[in-house]
Amino acid sequence: MNKLLFYTINFMPYPFVPPPEELESAWVTIPNSHYDPRVGHRLYTDYLEEEIATERFGYDGVLVNEHHQNAYGNMPSPNLVASYIIARTSRIPVGIIGNALPLYNHPLRVAEEVAMLDVISGGRIISGFVRGTGMEYFSYGENPTYARDKFWEAHDLILKAWTEPGPFEWEGEHFHLRYVNPWPRPLQQPHPPIWIPGVGSLETVDETAKRRYTFMQVYAPRWLLTKALLAYRKIAEEKYGYTPSPYQLGAAIPTYVAETDEQAHREARPHLTWLFRNGLQHPAYFAFPPGSMSKKSFRNFLGTLIEKNIKPLHELTYEDLIEQEYVIVGGPDTVIEQLEKFQEESGAGVIVGAGGQWGAMPVWMAMKNMQIMAEQVMPHFRPPDGKPIWAREEPKVPTTLSEQAATVAPALAPRIRFDDDTYMDPRVGHIPEEVEAARNQVGAPTHGQ
Amino acid sequence: MSESPATVPRPKRFYTEPEWLDVGEIRVAYRRKGSGEPTIFLHGAGATRMWLPFYEQMSASVDFVAPEHPGFGETEAPEWNFGFDDLVLHYRDFADTLGLSRFHLVGFSTGGWIAAAFAVFYPERLASLTLIAPAGVYVPGKPLTDLFAMPPERIATMLFSGREAAYLDYLPDGTNLDDIVHAYGELTTFAHLTWAPSHDPKLPRRLRGLRVRTLVVGAEDDWIVPNEHVDRYAELIPGARVVRIPGTGHGLLIQEPERAAAEIVSFIEGNAR
Repeated sequence: MNKLLFYTINFMPYPFVPPPEELESAWVTIPNSHYDPRVGHRLYTDYLEEEIATERFGYDGVLVNEHHQNAYGNMPSPNLVASYIIARTSRIPVGIIGNALPLYNHPLRVAEEVAMLDVISGGRIISGFVRGTGMEYFSYGENPTYARDKFWEAHDLILKAWTEPGPFEWEGEHFHLRYVNPWPRPLQQPHPPIWIPGVGSLETVDETAKRRYTFMQVYAPRWLLTKALLAYRKIAEEKYGYTPSPYQLGAAIPTYVAETDEQAHREARPHLTWLFRNGLQHPAYFAFPPGSMSKKSFRNFLGTLIEKNIKPLHELTYEDLIEQEYVIVGGPDTVIEQLEKFQEESGAGVIVGAGGQWGAMPVWMAMKNMQIMAEQVMPHFRPPDGKPIWAREEPKVPTTLSEQAATVAPALAPRIRFDDDTYMDPRVGHIPEEVEAARNQVGAPTHGQ
Repeated sequence: MSESPATVPRPKRFYTEPEWLDVGEIRVAYRRKGSGEPTIFLHGAGATRMWLPFYEQMSASVDFVAPEHPGFGETEAPEWNFGFDDLVLHYRDFADTLGLSRFHLVGFSTGGWIAAAFAVFYPERLASLTLIAPAGVYVPGKPLTDLFAMPPERIATMLFSGREAAYLDYLPDGTNLDDIVHAYGELTTFAHLTWAPSHDPKLPRRLRGLRVRTLVVGAEDDWIVPNEHVDRYAELIPGARVVRIPGTGHGLLIQEPERAAAEIVSFIEGNAR
């Protein structure tokens, strides 16, 4: 078993924007006249190549995410990016840390698209479900006071659509559908693995532990992140009576590894500074619209911020990021040591953001981060063969036609009816002898193969 | 959205103990004083839990009833999702429970929107309608200020059109956790009702047929509900009259309580039941 699973998450930033001092926010209201699509084309091309490279580097998976109307991450449709990645890779799992369910008034679209991706990719999809940041509610005009209810109703509808035979009727508070019957259904059974990110609110930790999904703590000082993951384990054990797998516990910790500690800091400092101070620049009123948290959660959250003196993300200096362990930066030995510490303290088996692109990094730097991670850090957390988790199992469906023909028999054969009530399999309908044989069986249509 | 009334913080100035009335499943906190024409006042998205000087002025001439909306002040929000239509029914039941079959309805800002919606559905219950700096309609190019997209101190500036320093007593303590959490709760109810759309697209068509004597009160320079909204209401409601209170912003009831009360009382008395 791999002790720690390594995932990249490439936010696809657009760093060619004014500094934070000149903007209200890098989200929601940052004028899109700053966006040059020609530059965007180049960035998407770079970022997609970095994501595709994760397979050869030997990552356990590659994650894409969803944000709207911002310079921090230009991935408003994570499903589109996932689609591109699965087309250019063959084995690596692709995690969609969207879809922001409350933003969509048709959860079936999410059920359909994720199922499509799962079938096309041969069962390589991890389906995240997120509520999205507060900013998305401004950008999408969606009422934040409905977000929590709508999130869980959409989740329940999607899960039912994936796991129970259709058509069935859905009458909820937010969604009203007479015919729920999505085609296709997902390939992974009973459904793709589900990840839910959280800021550490106990409500989310509890709901995630209850369903045995993977909880992914987003950026936080290490003590807070550890606290949330320990809470998951405790809730799973004490309230729901099971011991979670380390693979149910993850955290996003931007990580940069280079040849030496000194070299790593020299290279990471400007880009992690951009990521937090520029990319994440947003006022509190955008981040926490009314109703996005319950009053009780808001009180706890605000109380913790005040009591522990937690700064907004965009006010953190590089030194804060290092000291409070929001990030991990160093040579291979330092990174190994810090990842081991993270793992021992929190019990987590999943690290998100282990290498890859941050801020305004050029391709070579993002690739270098991943290559050193792959060659000098990952093997330390793996059995002697160094394999990523997906290389330890067979593909979930046959990858060749010969295997497919030998092992997967459709329950029904296609059938057409001729005017004389003859039924036959259209796949042999061009062969006169087969047509003749079928005509001799009028009234006795064949079922199956 | 709900919390026990015991934990609701009390403003330092103007706080008075409310009376309580069970209206359906909702326990309504309200304040009432005075005699004469029964007048129900619907507050805006803040300044709750207080017996404001404007209320005192009004109560010198009319029977002034000031309930707190569900999810505001000391009235708890229901557990279910609710909209303006539910509030109209709620205030019908509130008036019924108080035994007020015909009364004057006065609404400020978001309360003006509720009052306009009420008038559309129950015109026969109203002796008159007064809309003060009312929200609820859309004026192209002059949208309602997005109060969700600004910090609390900026909201204060917008409320008093840049002259908030004179009215700090009326504002919640921005440093006290209880006050901040309570304000978050009220803002949550406000968002629940008005996040999008921030007006009722059906209201203009419905107001055109309204047969209720209406006064629309505007500020001189309103930074929250632009002055054009007052004009729009007056244009939509047949026979509506407009007055503007000089030297005021959206906080006109706090800035000019005597002047505002005098205008409204005179209108109410001119339309006695």
